[in-house]
Amino acid sequence: MSNHVFALERQLRAWGHEPFSYAIEAKPGVTGVQPYRRLFRTAAAGDLLVLHFSMGHEVFDQLVKLPGRKVLVYHNVTPPEFFAGINPHAAAFAQLGRSQLRSLAGTVDLAVGVSEYNRRELEEAGFERTATVPILIDWDAYDVPADEGVLAAWSAATTKLLFVGRISPNKRHDDLIRMLTYYRACIDPEAQLLLVGSYRDQPQYHARVASLARELGLAAAVTFTGSVPLPHLVAYYATASAFVSLSEHEGFGVPLLEAMRFRLPVVAYDAAAVGETVGGAGILLARKDLAEAAEACALTIERPPLRRALIEAGERRIAELATDLVAARTREVFAL
Amino acid sequence: MAIDLDAVMAEVRERVQAKRASGAYGPDVDAALRAPLPGGPAALIDDLHDPLGSLAGLLAQPVEYDLRSRKRYVGRAITAARRVVIGLVRWWINAISERQERVNRLVAAALQEQSARPAPQFDARLARLEREFQERKGAEVAANLHSVYFAARFSGDEPVIRAQSERFLELFQGRRRVLDLGSGRGTFLELARDHGIGAYGVDLDHRMVEEARSRGFECVESDALAHLRSLEQGSVDGLYARHIAEHVLPGELVDLLRECRRVLAAGAPVVMLTPNVATLTVGAHTFWLDPSHRRPIPPELFRFYLEVEGFREVDVRSFEPSELRLSEDVPEGAQLDNVRLLNETLFGMRDYAVIGRQP
Repeated sequence: MSNHVFALERQLRAWGHEPFSYAIEAKPGVTGVQPYRRLFRTAAAGDLLVLHFSMGHEVFDQLVKLPGRKVLVYHNVTPPEFFAGINPHAAAFAQLGRSQLRSLAGTVDLAVGVSEYNRRELEEAGFERTATVPILIDWDAYDVPADEGVLAAWSAATTKLLFVGRISPNKRHDDLIRMLTYYRACIDPEAQLLLVGSYRDQPQYHARVASLARELGLAAAVTFTGSVPLPHLVAYYATASAFVSLSEHEGFGVPLLEAMRFRLPVVAYDAAAVGETVGGAGILLARKDLAEAAEACALTIERPPLRRALIEAGERRIAELATDLVAARTREVFAL
Repeated sequence: MAIDLDAVMAEVRERVQAKRASGAYGPDVDAALRAPLPGGPAALIDDLHDPLGSLAGLLAQPVEYDLRSRKRYVGRAITAARRVVIGLVRWWINAISERQERVNRLVAAALQEQSARPAPQFDARLARLEREFQERKGAEVAANLHSVYFAARFSGDEPVIRAQSERFLELFQGRRRVLDLGSGRGTFLELARDHGIGAYGVDLDHRMVEEARSRGFECVESDALAHLRSLEQGSVDGLYARHIAEHVLPGELVDLLRECRRVLAAGAPVVMLTPNVATLTVGAHTFWLDPSHRRPIPPELFRFYLEVEGFREVDVRSFEPSELRLSEDVPEGAQLDNVRLLNETLFGMRDYAVIGRQP
């Protein structure tokens, strides 16, 4: 989400506006973000306040009272049932987020879903003026050389199945690990699963998923990289054989598109906004059958014509979501 | 190149099946694919897939709460404070949780009972009803009767059938694709061929279809309505149905006519023959000689069906006079009028055809 905010900031500056980013709590190492409290002193009637909403927080109730035009950008809130039983704290915040979304209806001038799926939820939550604008991605930012160390470490491995995303129960890393059992038993005994993404927010789930891998005898076949710098991320996309998502809840799913950007075939379970983000440029799984998911990945690796077709479709999809096209759409909808 | 997702998924499923068959995808892999997430309870989202099963397991689980705080410096104090507070309200919490536990268990038991109880009886009753329904459907048309013996005794003579069909040939003159519904041995198809009319048949009876085919006719083994539904709009230019209408229920006849209108080309004729039940010896007697006859259809009603379904130039023609008649060799006047009336009512035409055209 933060990359999206920075991309938006760059665009706003290019259009002659004076943008500032604020956060309740910025990730360590992130610069250029101001503490949100400053807003209460500086916000003025002529300002546009863009509120990015992805979890509940009491501060939103105060922010919507600020002067100026307000646009809520809804990145979706993971439903609490994904966390209940694993992380009660996250479940409580998810619950708060869901109920807060309803209370924010009527307090903003426009509510924007980053996917049609999100826009429908906004409508159900009671927002009257809604629109869909995909996440603005600065594709040029990915033009960095891949990290040599990562490439070298993985060059010898045969099948490398990649998933990128925060370690979180809704993303079903546990299913990816279960699927790997099938893959190694029935397709390639050397197959490796690369799970790129921060586990800072979900330590309980991360620990349990890691012990599932150990129980299934896959400790050496599953790699949790944690949060990685961009050149490492680029290297993982470059070295992987296929991108596979078994996530059951995504408000958009940027990594699906990143994989396409790096010419990786995408296999994804069709849940929430995943289908519309993939946009026909990947193998969408209508049902959660882990054996089928594994075989679908294998087909993208074993069948060059299918792989080519998927990669070409992915490139077309990226062209549809080109930075300037999405920027123009953002400008139109935000009335900038 | 467009991606044919259906083809890809079909191949995926084939591969999974092949691996099941070869033993590579055995029970151990199956177990791994369903392995629970270790180290704590399942996520609620997974429990929701089997709510009753999960509920039973959940009720048996103790509630775990770790009151220790791991915060630096103040952790010990927080832990101590929690212990004190919990100690103070323990009996109050116990009272609440005991009551809640009781409610939970009762609700769970009631749900279990509800979900378990009706199922076996329901399935058995449903199976019995289905069986009875099939038996009843069969009994209504004497499906258990030996049809060979029945046909030998009651079915019409080929020359008679041929003569009946001949009456309507002129309506199909020059047509290229006429459909004969219930084509039987192919009597109409043969006539059509002799007169240069393109025709094919549909029949439900396998033996009839075989016989028609052996005589060189095109014949489809199918239910008439199902076959009509499979046809393109306007794809036949004539429809002939001899003694079909009385074998179906009124609603089915309406469906049949509706489909006929759809598949007929513009201006094409439909001809349907059926026993003329306006003649009382037919309506009260011979009609019922075939136990698979469902309903007598009075000519006025059949005409109405065609008109209301949008056919044009609807006409009814009766034929096949009764062999038995009262002598009309009586003095003119009231007596002759009475005899004529009786002849018409009791010994009138035995069959009729209703004719219409696709508008």
